[in-house]
Amino acid sequence: MPLLEVTQLTKHYQGGSGRVTALEDVSFALEGGRLLGVLGPSGSGKTTLLSLIAGLLRPSSGEVRLGGSAIHLRSAREAAAFRREHVGLVFQDHHLVPYLSALENLLLVPHLSGHVRDADRRHASHLLAEFGLEHRARHTPAELSGGERQRVAIARALMNSPEIMLVDEPTSNLDTERGQQVLELLRDQVHRGAMTCVMVTHDPRMAAQADQTLQLMDGRVAAGDAGA
Amino acid sequence: MLAVKELLGSKLKFGLIALAIGLVVSLTMLMSAMSEGLVTGMTGAKRSLDADVLVFQGDTALSLERSMLTDDDLTLISSSAGVDAAYAVGHLIVTIRGPHGSFDAHVFGLADAFDQLPIVEGEHRAPAAGEAIVDFTATTEGIGVGDTLNLNPLPGELRVTAFTEGRRYIMAPALYVSLDTWRSLRAASLLKLDSAQGGETATPPDGEVADGMPPEAAPTLAGAASIMAVRLAPGVTPSDLSAALAPAFEVATPEDASLAGNGMNVMVLAVNGIQLVSLLIGAMVIGVFFYITTLHKSGQIAAVKALGASNYYVYRQLLVQISILVTLAAVIGVGLALGAGSGMPPAMAFDPDPARWAVSLLAVYATAYLGSLFSLRSILLIDPATALDRAEH
Repeated sequence: MPLLEVTQLTKHYQGGSGRVTALEDVSFALEGGRLLGVLGPSGSGKTTLLSLIAGLLRPSSGEVRLGGSAIHLRSAREAAAFRREHVGLVFQDHHLVPYLSALENLLLVPHLSGHVRDADRRHASHLLAEFGLEHRARHTPAELSGGERQRVAIARALMNSPEIMLVDEPTSNLDTERGQQVLELLRDQVHRGAMTCVMVTHDPRMAAQADQTLQLMDGRVAAGDAGA
Repeated sequence: MLAVKELLGSKLKFGLIALAIGLVVSLTMLMSAMSEGLVTGMTGAKRSLDADVLVFQGDTALSLERSMLTDDDLTLISSSAGVDAAYAVGHLIVTIRGPHGSFDAHVFGLADAFDQLPIVEGEHRAPAAGEAIVDFTATTEGIGVGDTLNLNPLPGELRVTAFTEGRRYIMAPALYVSLDTWRSLRAASLLKLDSAQGGETATPPDGEVADGMPPEAAPTLAGAASIMAVRLAPGVTPSDLSAALAPAFEVATPEDASLAGNGMNVMVLAVNGIQLVSLLIGAMVIGVFFYITTLHKSGQIAAVKALGASNYYVYRQLLVQISILVTLAAVIGVGLALGAGSGMPPAMAFDPDPARWAVSLLAVYATAYLGSLFSLRSILLIDPATALDRAEH
């Protein structure tokens, strides 16, 4: 049984000039331990798809099931609780909290769940070390390079040992070499941890390195091997 | 975690806003102390009389200057139902020739209860005939314990035995004397006596009297007292006594009586209005500051909400920040107010009252939390989905 099932997912927005269809009738399935690259030009619906899987948006119609659980039926509060426990999010602009150190940004995740235990501190230190950032643990985002910030953001997404990681354009603000390093890091985490990852990108070279791909065009599935 | 970390991470920004709020707090504190100073200066001697109610002559609008009670009145009031204890109080305006020149003073004659006066310097005893306990503000006129005060237009003298505090009336120091001494002074103000000193009860003198006044009329015209201070029996309210004594007498609590006459109501309303405006400005400063801050970091808030933070969590961080900033501002504001107060000349009305300051500070906290509702609205409206690139759809 696939970990992630997306069935006939449709999302309309009410824009100034009437109803805008951001996503229409998108279906695919993804097994656990796989990296899905969602490819498409700007405005194709990639980020909307990611937001719907994360429960940040509610679909106009269709279903999103993660591990059999219906994400599309959850209230905003329930979806937030679900994300805290089961989802890792990596934003395009990393969105690290600027006044927290790298270590504290990682500890923010257990903090939001209630309290930070010693095991969380050890886990955070271990992740930073794994990402080659142990010497930057006390540095704030402003003191880190773009690549380091993105690595901290990925480490933060791994803090809750998520079932699925949703990654939005992780390499868009990085040069080719650093972008490749970040992608390798993601692939390594997915394959070692048997974790599922959906990565949105506009770069075909990055998408090509994923286990499966899904190409969106004007809100519809244009091509891909993710399967419906 | 986030709230404190953000404060520590932006010390200059939050320090400046704490200073701005602190200035508003200090303004509020200063207004409160000056308001209290004005009220104390104008009515302290009247308001602080140790009594549940004060009984005035009827149709005098609770005016100490106009009320006059006879011996029969005193007897009637003392024996009224609901009166547990009572003592007569006399009032008289005099001019004193001091080392720094002449100044006005208000003589209060007390039949009893001198222990209600807090002694800050001098002898702890009731004044004997020809002696007075004087409000400490008279020291600014060069008066000291042991001095003899020359009264005008009376030929009498009073020796200062002690200083009390917080007892002024219409911005002039109060002098507390025995009721007998007051009666003598009062009689002397109506009769051209050779001397009011000695404490002898005013008696129709053989000597010269004021033009057109029969000598035997002097004690009656002088009156037995100005008002009566009454302690009510348990369960009796001021209204009960008022109903029993009307219309020949007027009854009011010392607090209410102090606000009657001399434009006190208008003055207190004006000062309270300024305080209220200060508080509203404080609330606006805090509200607008945090509203702008919330808008400024809406992306960050969206990301934290996307990570799973609830609206309540984000708002709680804001409340923690407000609490810390207002506490810091309170320390700054009280310090500034006390500093400004200590630099004011003694004649300036400044009387910080801890209870009123506490109320003002609570009001600052309340208005700050009220101002935070602007930010709460913004927090609720921030869509966590905007943490991802919404422009993409």
